[in-house]
Amino acid sequence: MLKRDEWLPLARKLDWNYSYVQEKDVFPEEMSGSPWLSHEEWKEWDEPYRTSYREYVTLQHEKDAAVIAVRDAVGRVEDFKKLSAPWVNALKFYSATFPLAEFAAVVGNLRAGRFGRDSAWRTMSTFGALDEFRHTQIPLLLMHDLIRWDKQFDWTHKFYHTNNWVAIAARHLTDELLLAANPIEFAIGTNFVFETGFTNLQFVGLSSLSHLVGDRMFEKMITSIQTDEARHAQIGRPVLATVLKHDPEYAQYLLDKWFWRSWLFFSVLTGFSMDYLTPLAQRPCSFKEFMEEWIVKQYLGTLEEFGMKKPWYWDIFLKSLDSYHHMVYASAYTHRATVWFDMVVPGPEERAWLRRKYPAYWDQLDPVWERITERWENGDAGVEWNTHGATPVGFCNLCQLVLCGGTPTQNTANTLDYNGCKYIFCSEPCRWIFMKEPERYASHKDVVQRILTGEAPANLLELTRKYFNLTQDVWGKDVYGGEYPWLKRKSTVQ
Amino acid sequence: MAIPLYGFLKGDTMGLVILGDEHESVRAVAAKLQQAASVRVPITDPISVFYKGQPVDLRLTLTQAGFEPLERFDVVPGEDE
Repeated sequence: MLKRDEWLPLARKLDWNYSYVQEKDVFPEEMSGSPWLSHEEWKEWDEPYRTSYREYVTLQHEKDAAVIAVRDAVGRVEDFKKLSAPWVNALKFYSATFPLAEFAAVVGNLRAGRFGRDSAWRTMSTFGALDEFRHTQIPLLLMHDLIRWDKQFDWTHKFYHTNNWVAIAARHLTDELLLAANPIEFAIGTNFVFETGFTNLQFVGLSSLSHLVGDRMFEKMITSIQTDEARHAQIGRPVLATVLKHDPEYAQYLLDKWFWRSWLFFSVLTGFSMDYLTPLAQRPCSFKEFMEEWIVKQYLGTLEEFGMKKPWYWDIFLKSLDSYHHMVYASAYTHRATVWFDMVVPGPEERAWLRRKYPAYWDQLDPVWERITERWENGDAGVEWNTHGATPVGFCNLCQLVLCGGTPTQNTANTLDYNGCKYIFCSEPCRWIFMKEPERYASHKDVVQRILTGEAPANLLELTRKYFNLTQDVWGKDVYGGEYPWLKRKSTVQ
Repeated sequence: MAIPLYGFLKGDTMGLVILGDEHESVRAVAAKLQQAASVRVPITDPISVFYKGQPVDLRLTLTQAGFEPLERFDVVPGEDE
């Protein structure tokens, strides 16, 4: 019998020269991606984990058993009821955007499992697909238990099947990055940028946050998922190294495109959780501090390691660390009925913390919360519409998120005339990405275009009910119904 | 004829969709924006309006001022032009 180290290289590296067909017939460029290179250029592809199928199955079985055990111990409805209400809403937000995005990644990984250019890459991608199946099923299972307690958790499965504006934005990202990307773009965009750059470290940060708020179930789920991520994220590095050798300009473009797109998505999801929906006493750091410590430093180090340049928009990105998620949160709070989770108003202590953590632009953002607070003080508890917008908002024609680029005094939205149509973008990087691949993006209709063509209602209430698929018992409200101990209510209605 | 526009009020956190009419004054459309954003930013007077980076006479109609559909206009608290 051969020992593991003797047979594993044979099993992992099983490519051959084709006799009956051309290599390009087996791996067509339109399926495998560009640049098309012969296997000679890919044969050194390698990654450090070198897992065998037997090892994979054994380890994953242990991980699943551990998750189920924790679920039995601390993952019941009674356990979630003990958590702070804002944090529970962070879970609703997170769990909706997560599982079916993971399922899209199953498909992307399976494509690489067939059309990746080296057998070890294809094997790792097959394991990656199995990982992503797991990442789909675990949150669906855990959150399904909570639906009878709180219907908003039903959006864990429903979200990607709706035309909610957040789902339109999420699908725009995940359909391209996870579902449809060829193996090369998937490896660089997903494995290298999205996973190594963002989600792998986000899981580390979120699991630590979960621990602090006492959410042992979410902590276990995230930690378990992160161990898979750490492994399959390794697919990206060797692919990037090879593409960099043969087409450095394209490699730089892929990095720059996917860093910006990942950043926007990540900023909203994690920025909301860390800076607004985690109770103040349990915040170990601000979202910006987390980004600087874990994401920015690591990413810059990796760029240096590969001899690559920072994205041209790096200064724009650094400024947006101070403002973007705050702009989106305040906007979303005043349109909270258009989402499926509840939100909170930061009180005086929270605002003082935010001012300390974000000195650059908080002077511009605080007056918005002052105004919202004043509206609650002059209205009655439970009357949501007094602090809610009534008109449709603008969306970026690239990222499909709300036009929240820049700051309250200088919004960076910009318009473009292209092929007889008018487009608007939240930022210069979104416009740049659009212009790089207009044939890919130009025909996609954002929410406003759907309203103007009659596909979606113009009235915000009808839009929310009929197009965003939200009913009154599920749509987002203030977590406390506007009843905060620090609020000086002036209403005289008894 | 209706003219949908993207309105940006200085001090607000996002751009809003404002439906104007070709015969409506710039001042009236600016007021619509201020009303739509009032949950986040108090309504003030006087104001200035900018279109494609240039100040606009509030008395002009949207057509006279050259406002095109799905273009951006900005409302800034401060003296009218």
